Amino acid sequence: MASEGGARFAFEDKISRAALVFAFLMLAVGGLFGITQLLARTPYAPQFISAKTYYTILTGHGVFLAIVWTAFFIVAFSNYVITRELGVNLSRTLLGFGALLAIVGSLIAGLAILSGKAAVLYTFYAPLKAHPAFYLGAAILIIGTWLIGAAYFKAYLQWKKANPSKEIPLGTMGILATWIVWFEATPPLAFMVLKDLVPMALWGKSVDVLETRTYFWYFGHPLVYFWIIPAVTYWYHILPKLAGGRVFSRTMAKVAFILFILASTPVGVHHQFVDPGISNIAKFVHTVFTFIVATPSLLTAFNVLATLEIAGRMRGGKGFLGWLKTLPWREPAFSAGVLAFIIFGFGGISGVVNASYIVNYIVHNTVWVVGHFHLTVGTAATLTFMGASYLMIPALFGRSIYSQALARAQPFVWFIGMSIFSFSLHTAGLLGVPRRTYNVMYAGNAPDAWIPLLLAAALGGIVFASSGAVFVFNALASILAGPRINPHPKPNLAELVDDEEVGPAGALDRLSIWLLLALALIVFAYAIPFYEIYSTGLSLVPPVTPEGLRLTG
Amino acid sequence: MAGKAEKLEYAWIALVVVMLTIFLGILGYAVIGEGYSAPEDAVTCNVKKLEEQITPGVKEVAPGVYEVDIVARMWAWQPNEIVLENPKKVIFRITSADVQHGFEIVGTNVNFMVFPGYIAEITWYPPSDAEGEFLIVCNEYCGLGHQNMYGKLIIIRS
Repeated sequence: MASEGGARFAFEDKISRAALVFAFLMLAVGGLFGITQLLARTPYAPQFISAKTYYTILTGHGVFLAIVWTAFFIVAFSNYVITRELGVNLSRTLLGFGALLAIVGSLIAGLAILSGKAAVLYTFYAPLKAHPAFYLGAAILIIGTWLIGAAYFKAYLQWKKANPSKEIPLGTMGILATWIVWFEATPPLAFMVLKDLVPMALWGKSVDVLETRTYFWYFGHPLVYFWIIPAVTYWYHILPKLAGGRVFSRTMAKVAFILFILASTPVGVHHQFVDPGISNIAKFVHTVFTFIVATPSLLTAFNVLATLEIAGRMRGGKGFLGWLKTLPWREPAFSAGVLAFIIFGFGGISGVVNASYIVNYIVHNTVWVVGHFHLTVGTAATLTFMGASYLMIPALFGRSIYSQALARAQPFVWFIGMSIFSFSLHTAGLLGVPRRTYNVMYAGNAPDAWIPLLLAAALGGIVFASSGAVFVFNALASILAGPRINPHPKPNLAELVDDEEVGPAGALDRLSIWLLLALALIVFAYAIPFYEIYSTGLSLVPPVTPEGLRLTG
Repeated sequence: MAGKAEKLEYAWIALVVVMLTIFLGILGYAVIGEGYSAPEDAVTCNVKKLEEQITPGVKEVAPGVYEVDIVARMWAWQPNEIVLENPKKVIFRITSADVQHGFEIVGTNVNFMVFPGYIAEITWYPPSDAEGEFLIVCNEYCGLGHQNMYGKLIIIRS
């Protein structure tokens, strides 16, 4: 199955190419918005954009990067892993139609944002009201991803029928876990958006704040694992081979995937620790599940490090840390993955702080949280995806990377910039700097201690944004003008993806059982807050626009 | 090598379980043993008839015990300045007249969500060394004037 499969998977690869290009464009726009809004809110910086523009591009930054860039990259990556590893074609109808819907939905929601009629930020908390196109676009995007996800499960079932006694290959296991989590996360969100937010936007339906928030965060945390599991898959499945070794513990890798399936979703209330109206009991239950979902991340930390150490020693590294030196740091697909993995460790640490529910009110809605998720989605996922792109572009476009020198430096610059940015924001958050605010100087009333930290954050932001710009330039230049390659160079993604160690199926491969258990945990964890919300009785409030206008019908 | 590495892995798993259990134990103790609480109490209210249910202002109900009723609006806190003399216990009752807001007193652990349709009740025990001016900000995005929504808490000690 290690063949290129170019002709056999022509259709799948076409969709992957489209998804990848769309993802890169979204990364460019979203990143540009990110650096613009960062500089706009930096002390002493001239306020070159209005508050309305600030909140508009902040919404765009969140939606284009956290949802669209990640989702489309993940589709391209999933297509490649599933087709090459299982050697099965994907349903043309599901994949093609799904991709079409996803792109159309993204464009509709994106245009609603760019037109300035949806400055509600990426959490779109009711009763703030955006243009109906924003919610409809988001709903169409989600429906599109369902069709795409369905194509993967169809292919998996087809493979399983032909290979009833084989274990699930490791890469496929990660991709399936990713999409299982997506299917756990999204249906209730879609239900709430169609039941409450679309009618709210269309004819002013009144909604309950606590109910809509709880639906949003039901989705909001598994979304994090939708980003992270593909990155973990890359670390388990591609990195070891790039380093010339093999994953240290295959079993533990699979256990981690199962734990992600089980505990990604029943944790959303940890975003609502300071919500009045939800009891300490519900909050503590979600704290416990959050600590459980920290476990696979901690297992991954050991497993990947052990993998790297073994590979480094096989390459001749000696001594306590000497093995680090022998690793292929000049290979950007490797360095980006490892640097992202290191950052993920720090993201995990601040994540455990966030999850500790009575500590949480120190950091809730401060820039600490911004520092945190730029480590997770902003680096653990994004930098890994950048590294993977250095393999996917040659594999899908038949062209090598335009500038190897830029590609070699880019992950390190991102790492340095992000470290400065994130450390500054974590510290500033402890001092109470609020997030998502156009100007945090409050007409001179803000504490002076905030200023140096915010300046440092801006510096870090400039550094990693320039790395991002270099990445997008290099990626697009490779696609358009990279040297054509034939035969395929090393490292070759098709060979890296191929799982050569598939053994017999075991309990860890019985996905339907784990899925049922996951659903039971979700029902248990969410019965408590939803019982509290509905037994108190909903308290409906009318929508208001970001300008402060009430348009109740 | 493999044997040793596997032993290390089991030791790591044990460490992870022990560590997370200790963290959870500390949190549980803080809540049950020390009486810390996340904000939880709220009653529903009618956002159209707010004035019948909450009167913004500061009341000292016993020496050092204050009741502070606050209404959040796009884009101000009402009252915008809170003065407390030798406060020992402060009970905030807060709601919003329009969208979601976030009530944060910078430099303290007062930080919670403010919802239209719900009056939240939160008790704060200010530390005895808390004195002087504190910035109050809205830390949840609440529309285009969000950055203008701030106020002041003044604690006087005598």
